[in-house]
Amino acid sequence: MDKEWSDGELARRIGSGTDIQAEAELFRRMAPRIRLYGLRHLRDAAAAEDLTQEVLITTLEALRAGRLREPEKLTSFVLGTCRMAVLDLRRGSQRKERLLQQFGADLQAPVQPSMPVLDHEQLTRCVQNLKERERTVVVMTFYDERTGADVASFLGLSEANVRVIRHRAVHQLRECMGAAV
Amino acid sequence: MSTGENADAVNCSNPIDAAILADYWLAVLPGPEEEAVEEHLLGCDRCGERLREIIALAEGIRSVAREGSLRMVVSDLFLMRAAEAGLRVREYAPPPGGGVQCTVTAEDDILIGRLAANLSGAKQVDLCICDERGVEQFRLPNIPLHPGASSIAYQESITLMKAAPTLKMIMRLVTFDEAGGECLLGEYTFNHTRSLPGPAAW
Repeated sequence: MDKEWSDGELARRIGSGTDIQAEAELFRRMAPRIRLYGLRHLRDAAAAEDLTQEVLITTLEALRAGRLREPEKLTSFVLGTCRMAVLDLRRGSQRKERLLQQFGADLQAPVQPSMPVLDHEQLTRCVQNLKERERTVVVMTFYDERTGADVASFLGLSEANVRVIRHRAVHQLRECMGAAV
Repeated sequence: MSTGENADAVNCSNPIDAAILADYWLAVLPGPEEEAVEEHLLGCDRCGERLREIIALAEGIRSVAREGSLRMVVSDLFLMRAAEAGLRVREYAPPPGGGVQCTVTAEDDILIGRLAANLSGAKQVDLCICDERGVEQFRLPNIPLHPGASSIAYQESITLMKAAPTLKMIMRLVTFDEAGGECLLGEYTFNHTRSLPGPAAW
């Protein structure tokens, strides 16, 4: 492919016939984004993978059938499909089985971008170097999985204050780990 | 070469703040803000990459907290969660002005010093960690206090204490008067006896 197609071009190419290259590009482009959505909502890598496959198949099905009236809105269509698929995955897997039977042969294994690997020792130092309240907020939030209200109650602060502390801590940790904030 | 709306996917012209991405991952964004973030992420690989960094950071923090090596004041919720996760928590609670004989074993995961004190009315409390002569080695300033708490739970690094020789450690809780002078709230002595193989001194 000489140039990267816009989402609209991609949708139109797939809709105009069986364009293997465009379909491959759809999978390459959208799979990592859908997987992230799945991780956020399903909190499980395998379930996120199931979601990715289902959304890609549903999207491909819709594009081939020309059901996407505004090709430029491919992203919105995929997002809407993600939302519906999460509901479906929570309800059952009948639709998934049907779609896999119909489109499974066309489904290419999407590329999985790996999660960044952090230097554990460095992260320990970074967390230790936070101020006491920041460290407490971070640990209560990410390890204890407490809500902002719980953390606020424990520290005798407002939820808004806890949010500010959490945001500051996230920025400091990223900076300490060498990431651009 | 990038064209059209997909150009933003590579070079994001309006990147989402990392703290907002963390809020998104924590599922604490209000509905409309979450929808806007998701719409952006479905079209932006650069911000997706940043979200992966946030997820890795969140997982890293969980891992660091779980291994018990942070020296910090922890909540009872933290201890409850650790126990639920099957971690072995060893806790010592010397009385104010008193001491306790203590150790750690290879099976211990979390080491806690429970420091009781009258904390009512204290606006700022520092925890000072001192050597056997009472000389301050380091300080946790302005430690978080649960309103109405009558004690704090200090987590000592289990990694450090598993490697430590037999030693005496003194902890002090101090607050401050109107003039900024330090006032002792409580002093606690931990007489640690090494029970794991290792050198007799640091």
